[in-house]
Amino acid sequence: MNANQLANVLSKKKKEVEDKIVLQAHNLNISYDNELAVKDVSIDIPEHSITAIIGPSGCGKSTLLRSFNRMNDFILGAGLEGKVLYRGIDLYGKDVDPVEVRRKIGMVFQKPNPFPKSIFDNIAWGPLINGYPKKGIYELVEKSLQAAALWGEVKDRLKSSAMALSGGQQQRLCIARALAMDPEIILMDEPCSALDPVSTAHIEDLMFELKQDYTLVIVTHNMQQASRVSNFTAFFESGYLVEFGETQNIFTLPKNKRTEDYVSGRFG
Amino acid sequence: MISRNLTNRYVIAKIFHGFCFTVAWSGVLILGVLLFHVTQEGIQWLDLQFLSDFPSRFPAKAGIHSALIGTLWLISLTALFSVPIGIGAGLYLEEFTKKNRIRQFVDLNISNLAGVPSIVYGMLGLVIFVRWFELNQSVLAGSLTMSLLILPVIIISTREALRAVPNTIRQAAFALGATRWQTIYAHVLPAAFPGILTGIILALSRAIGETAPLIMIGALTYVAFVPDGPMDDFTALPIQIFNWASRPQQQFHELAAAGILVLLIVLLLMNSIAVFIRHRLEKKSR
Repeated sequence: MNANQLANVLSKKKKEVEDKIVLQAHNLNISYDNELAVKDVSIDIPEHSITAIIGPSGCGKSTLLRSFNRMNDFILGAGLEGKVLYRGIDLYGKDVDPVEVRRKIGMVFQKPNPFPKSIFDNIAWGPLINGYPKKGIYELVEKSLQAAALWGEVKDRLKSSAMALSGGQQQRLCIARALAMDPEIILMDEPCSALDPVSTAHIEDLMFELKQDYTLVIVTHNMQQASRVSNFTAFFESGYLVEFGETQNIFTLPKNKRTEDYVSGRFG
Repeated sequence: MISRNLTNRYVIAKIFHGFCFTVAWSGVLILGVLLFHVTQEGIQWLDLQFLSDFPSRFPAKAGIHSALIGTLWLISLTALFSVPIGIGAGLYLEEFTKKNRIRQFVDLNISNLAGVPSIVYGMLGLVIFVRWFELNQSVLAGSLTMSLLILPVIIISTREALRAVPNTIRQAAFALGATRWQTIYAHVLPAAFPGILTGIILALSRAIGETAPLIMIGALTYVAFVPDGPMDDFTALPIQIFNWASRPQQQFHELAAAGILVLLIVLLLMNSIAVFIRHRLEKKSR
């Protein structure tokens, strides 16, 4: 193999790796009322994986997550510098419509927030307003609920109110609702922090299933959860990305002393 | 030591409880006394003939027909003008504008408008609707004036109701690729609707009892016909009641009491329709 071939193979390899990066932040700064919450963060998020964002409260991890589907747009005084790239497209580019962005990049929130409507309507609404044909909507609802491991529990009461479900069921409904939009990425902002351990286990199992077809980015306060479910972990502290790497390495062989202190519970 | 302290705290709690109880029930008591007094005076006049007769110089022949129909016209038209404008303005201020100086300025002005005495609105109505637009003393001029009067109340209560809708619902909708209008139409408005409806009913209840602005724009006190359209002259229940109460004869005072009963019944009907709609909507969303 001569040098030329080698270079070829290497660049091909590099391209393959790049293809697998679905979401990137480039020197990202996010501020609230001119106070920086996310400072010069660059991170590459690979597809079909679970990336966990950990760090103490107020370290900017939720802010970063919300910048990935432009949910920060609704916060007064929020400013952003740098770039967020989704498959190479700048999400904050001039001709990018935030509504389009949120279609492709779904979100699950900290507290389950189903609409005060029926289970069926909760799932069907998003696709319908985005032009999904009415004819196939029932099949889509069933498929989404099955993908969120909720179908068996609710199939006999699709018309009853989503507010009557338990907290864990509501959160899975919210995941099903996000799945129904057929997004490529699902962002989860502490999705289990309001749930009991059994419901949490349900959701974690679900995350494993979902990463076959989707890319998941989760913010979590729960170290065990990060180490259990994620492939990659990013540790944040006061707005800076301290360390990012494979979860195994972050938890067993952290390069940074502060990461080590945090993941081993010797923080502060 | 600790237990004695606790006893004291219980005593204070009991006193405050008693105070709140008294305050709450005194309102009911006052309403009861009023109702009793009015009923005692006016009930003997309250029959179908009273509802179907026009006013007259002779108490025995006098009825409230034109005033009742006039009030119904007035309230329907007022609702027609003020409800869409009020909800629209509330939506705009709460959901579409950013918090800045201009919005603060508009906020302050609307709050102030809600406190302006009704007779001032009467003068405004007289100048703008009666004179400029040459609507004369028509029911249209009356209801436009009333709309101005109650718009601030509707706007403020619409905004309160919108503010009570949890933000998590809006975020959920936005995260599904909804536009602002889709979010508002499908989720925010339905959730806020019971509150908005309460505000509308309170505002219309105020309008139905207002006399001063109508007198100011020159609504007639003696009307022996029913308005056929929005451009016709009219009278309204409170004007008729005022007219009867200001006469010296005892029998007209009794007629005024009967008129008050009719006014209260109309109010009560409006409120119960609102409660009914609200109850049904809340059941549906649960």
